[in-house]
Amino acid sequence: MRLALLLLCLAAPLAGQSVRSRLEGRVPAPSVPVLDSLIAIAAAEHLPTEPLIQKAIEGGTKDVPGERIERAVALDVEQLRRAQALLVRAGDAPPVTPVEVTSVAWALKRGLAPPMVEHVVAALPNQPRSSAFHAIADLVAHGFSADSAADLILAAVREGVHGLRLLDVSGAAVQELQRGSTHADALARVRAGLPNVPATPPPARSAVEGARRPAAPAQKP
Amino acid sequence: MNPIDPTIHKVLDGEIGPEALSPAQRRDADRLGAAAALLAAAPVGASVEQRVMAAIQRPAPSAGRRLVRWALRPHAVVLRMRPVWSLALVASILLLAVLPSPEAGLQLGDEEGIAQFVGRFPGARSVHVVGSFNDWGPVSIPLEDRDHDGVWRAAVVLPEGTHEYMFVVDGERWVVDPLAGRFVADGFGRENSLLIVRSLRR
Repeated sequence: MRLALLLLCLAAPLAGQSVRSRLEGRVPAPSVPVLDSLIAIAAAEHLPTEPLIQKAIEGGTKDVPGERIERAVALDVEQLRRAQALLVRAGDAPPVTPVEVTSVAWALKRGLAPPMVEHVVAALPNQPRSSAFHAIADLVAHGFSADSAADLILAAVREGVHGLRLLDVSGAAVQELQRGSTHADALARVRAGLPNVPATPPPARSAVEGARRPAAPAQKP
Repeated sequence: MNPIDPTIHKVLDGEIGPEALSPAQRRDADRLGAAAALLAAAPVGASVEQRVMAAIQRPAPSAGRRLVRWALRPHAVVLRMRPVWSLALVASILLLAVLPSPEAGLQLGDEEGIAQFVGRFPGARSVHVVGSFNDWGPVSIPLEDRDHDGVWRAAVVLPEGTHEYMFVVDGERWVVDPLAGRFVADGFGRENSLLIVRSLRR
């Protein structure tokens, strides 16, 4: 126990140093200590920190003023806290994993109402929900009601559709819509066909062969 | 070389009878007679003329047979090359051996997929895609417009999952990808495009 505490004490400043080094040169210098503190608070609360670092670097790259970057990161910390609390409230045993906190934060960011997110979390215990949230949010973005979208996606899960295949379910409903169906008809058709939905075709062979790995992150010119 | 006894010579030539020989001379005469018989039994070698005529009259071997014969026969190969080209050839071979081929760099991990970016930017000098997958580095993933029709493309290996991104045109203009289909507020008063990368192995 003492050894674990000692390691934690040693690791915390080292982790803080690596965050600081990632921020230096990428965000306005006066904002570095503020952002570093915000991220350290998030880490202490077992919140995921990588999305916060990315948000800070994004702001710096977009030439956003330092104070505005700090505000955006503080808002993201608050949203991650809400996501963590929502997961616990919906029945996940603490400490909830950073992956799940991030997926709920995505759902809230994409405009899903907290009660809806809580309903989905409770309906899908002990399994990844990120794809379910994205599928529901995709449907909502195309004019489906949040309730009917959640019903379809949860029905798909009950029929054995999991993970990223849930995006094929929402994709099939959107395709029905684009073929001229009403929202209700589109949902009914896809639901009747479950668990069979057309899979998203893989990228063409030429695209796979021509694909490159991104080079190491470049410094701001 | 020992000369043959004249008496034996006469016996072998049939000039006198063998009874004229002593027992020792008779043994030598018998040995010489046996040797002469062996020589007589051996095939008579053809003359040069006969061998040349036989070769001319023999039917020509088939093309396949000639090819096999050519392949099996040792040949002297003389390679005339300028030293500068030799060095260039060696350097090329070394480069090919050292540099990884594009296929070798494309070993996808279990949790990686391919993202295809396409944007129409007529007249643009450069287009890059930046996002949470490359620390928002503004120059690390360039798009290409190979046929100069204003449509810029890139296919990139990315980790499976959700990523926010934008296009940067001519190094200064931030543009949301209208083909993304998913968008999210960036917290700075604008929107980012949203990309969900799927692993090819699932």
